[in-house]
Amino acid sequence: MQVEKCDILCLGGGGAGITAAITAAEQGADVILVSKEPLGYGDTRISMGLMSCPGVVEGDDWQHFYKDLIKGGENLNDPELVHIMAEWAPYGLKLLESYGHLFERNKDGKFSKEVVFLLGGHSLPRTIGCPPGGGISMGNSLRAGAARAGIRVFEEVIACNLLFDDKRVTGAVCFDLCRGEVILFQSGAVVIATGGAGWLYYPHTDCNAGVTGDGYALAYEAGAELIDMEQVQFMPFALTYPASMCGVYVGEPSLAAPAGILRNSKGKIILEGLGTMTRAQVTNAMAVELSNGGGTEYGGLLLDLSPNLSSPEGRRMWKVRKERGQLESVRFAYGEDAYRWEKPWDVAPAAHYFMGGIKVNTSGQSSVPGLYAAGQVLGGIHGANRLGSVSLAELFVFGYLAGEAAARECKGQEFSFSKGNEEAVANITGLRGRKGSFKPIKLHRRLQKTMWENVGIVREERGLRAALREIEEIEEASKDLQITPQLSYNKDKLHTIELKHMLTVARLITESALIRQETRGAHLRLDFREKDEENWRRNIIILKNKNKMQFRTEVVKTDA
Amino acid sequence: MPRNVSIEIFRYDPQKDDSPSWRTYTIPYEEKNTVLGALIYIQENIDPSFAFRYGCRYKRCGLCALEVDGKPRMACHTYLQEGMRIGPLSKLPVIRDLAVDRKSIFHDLKKYSLYIEKKEENVEIIVEPEQGARLRSCAECLSCLSTCSRYNFGNGNFGGPFLFVKLAQLQFDPRNSKNRFEQAHALGIMHCRDCKNKCFCPNGINIYGDAICSLLENNVD
Repeated sequence: MQVEKCDILCLGGGGAGITAAITAAEQGADVILVSKEPLGYGDTRISMGLMSCPGVVEGDDWQHFYKDLIKGGENLNDPELVHIMAEWAPYGLKLLESYGHLFERNKDGKFSKEVVFLLGGHSLPRTIGCPPGGGISMGNSLRAGAARAGIRVFEEVIACNLLFDDKRVTGAVCFDLCRGEVILFQSGAVVIATGGAGWLYYPHTDCNAGVTGDGYALAYEAGAELIDMEQVQFMPFALTYPASMCGVYVGEPSLAAPAGILRNSKGKIILEGLGTMTRAQVTNAMAVELSNGGGTEYGGLLLDLSPNLSSPEGRRMWKVRKERGQLESVRFAYGEDAYRWEKPWDVAPAAHYFMGGIKVNTSGQSSVPGLYAAGQVLGGIHGANRLGSVSLAELFVFGYLAGEAAARECKGQEFSFSKGNEEAVANITGLRGRKGSFKPIKLHRRLQKTMWENVGIVREERGLRAALREIEEIEEASKDLQITPQLSYNKDKLHTIELKHMLTVARLITESALIRQETRGAHLRLDFREKDEENWRRNIIILKNKNKMQFRTEVVKTDA
Repeated sequence: MPRNVSIEIFRYDPQKDDSPSWRTYTIPYEEKNTVLGALIYIQENIDPSFAFRYGCRYKRCGLCALEVDGKPRMACHTYLQEGMRIGPLSKLPVIRDLAVDRKSIFHDLKKYSLYIEKKEENVEIIVEPEQGARLRSCAECLSCLSTCSRYNFGNGNFGGPFLFVKLAQLQFDPRNSKNRFEQAHALGIMHCRDCKNKCFCPNGINIYGDAICSLLENNVD
């Protein structure tokens, strides 16, 4: 078996993982980066490429940004993390540009009020855009940055489980998809930067196919604490058909500005003025209408952008969207009239981002020694709702901090590497050619269906309990799999490893959603419709203890 | 009776098969279904051993690039039609079925220093030419290689359109400090001068006009 040793192992090939790896390497640490997709081909790349940068317009500063983040997160945020986020955001932007990216500037080459715009929940315009193609240039720049830093990169390798001795995390057992072989990585520390878990809701997600929550499950199994896993952000506007494009992103609330209207299938107005609303506010209004039967035959509502065409500002916005290539998916799926905003779009919410995740301190350290987290996989910054364009800044800020702290801890240290966990390796190598009853991809679909129906945009106790029963049944079925025998690029094997992670994450979300008996941010309980400040301004912490899922709640920290 | 659609798909396991084969698959018709929709359906319902890549489903990640009737396309943004022949990007080594070897491109980034060489964190003022900004939407999907008659994988004498786009991106970047014209010349860009077979990009990049011509203009002898 192939064994690789390093000071720091970074898991994840997006903005946070690559930034952590580059930063640690620049500090002199020996770094290996493992990416499930080809490097830089994850959610960072497919984003719109919008980044928050406070302080461009007069009167804006990090304190205003801080207040917006807490308000947008409905007071569930960890104030210390928010403080770092708000203060360091401009540095995140500089860091990404140092890898090769360039953000949009005015004709004099400067960031100025002409190039920043306002997204829902921000009190001032502070979002900077990209040239056409959005996040593509970000993904490419990250690849270039990693190449420049000379990091050892393993592409299309998935982490199956972490190695740990009685003191700390010491590496990971991984599976090389193209070669079909196990690789054992031994390291002084591990930085998890695997992104979110939007794929648990396929097809109702605008995330990449690889976004299966691997990092949450790896951290949980290693005994780390996770926070507020019930908080899953759904982007309000995604396509509903054709089936192969269901869930594809078409816009966030600001898309509708200034005059767009949301109607139900009978033409009744559900929302107006949605351009300045947060994603949670719009999605929740849609969720209630959909659960009351107001949806179209495709399960969506009708976003009517035509009122914008009667004002110069509205027509300008259409042109901006068109030039940025943001209307191409609508054109492809719904045709020319929809592309020109003359025909309403059939839209439904799609899982977009996880506010919850691995609980960390301001250096990205988890509760388990040697284990760090960065990017979407960490929890607590955004509380119960994330504002638009903040996550891209988050990747670079927290990627930097985690990489820096991990390097400081590990550089030049001697670690006693634990031997490969033979059972874990056998579990992977033994998968190929199994002749059981269930196909892994079919179990993905069963899990995704129950997550969307019962743990999606609306939740209530009955549905959540049904989801837990279904998760248990799928867990049972996953012991009896049918797996094709091919060695290289075996999707069945990939799906099997992912399924194990997905089942763990599904349980974390569902149990957490049961516990939070209120409606806050992205978490909408039909049986507890009000926000409960008295009892529920609390974070839900989960960890594995003696092979059991253990929960506690903590009053949200106040800013020091 | 429900309508069906039949398509042919390239299947090949280099570890087992002597040569590739084309197999016919019949799937239920669905309005506006995409090639990607068909691939997912086949892996899920007909043959779980079928290998292909995809990611975002809206032309951003570039991972589902393949050939339809010999022409490169993004599977996610191509409507499915009866009788289509769907194969891998034909200029790249096949790992299995439609999954080609993509690792070489990261290797090339290092080999040809395809990055800004000096790390600079404080770029306050910078004006990027429009052509440079347009080239930034290259999704690194590698489709363009399929449309180049001269490119051959592993032949270091001719870089091919993908490397020329990367070199042009850098040449347009005001922070670039390496001579990219010279690199393009060493990689045989002069062969593109009289090429009649203009390379194609599914994301709409004008590879010949924006990248290749701008590198040819400053031909280094």
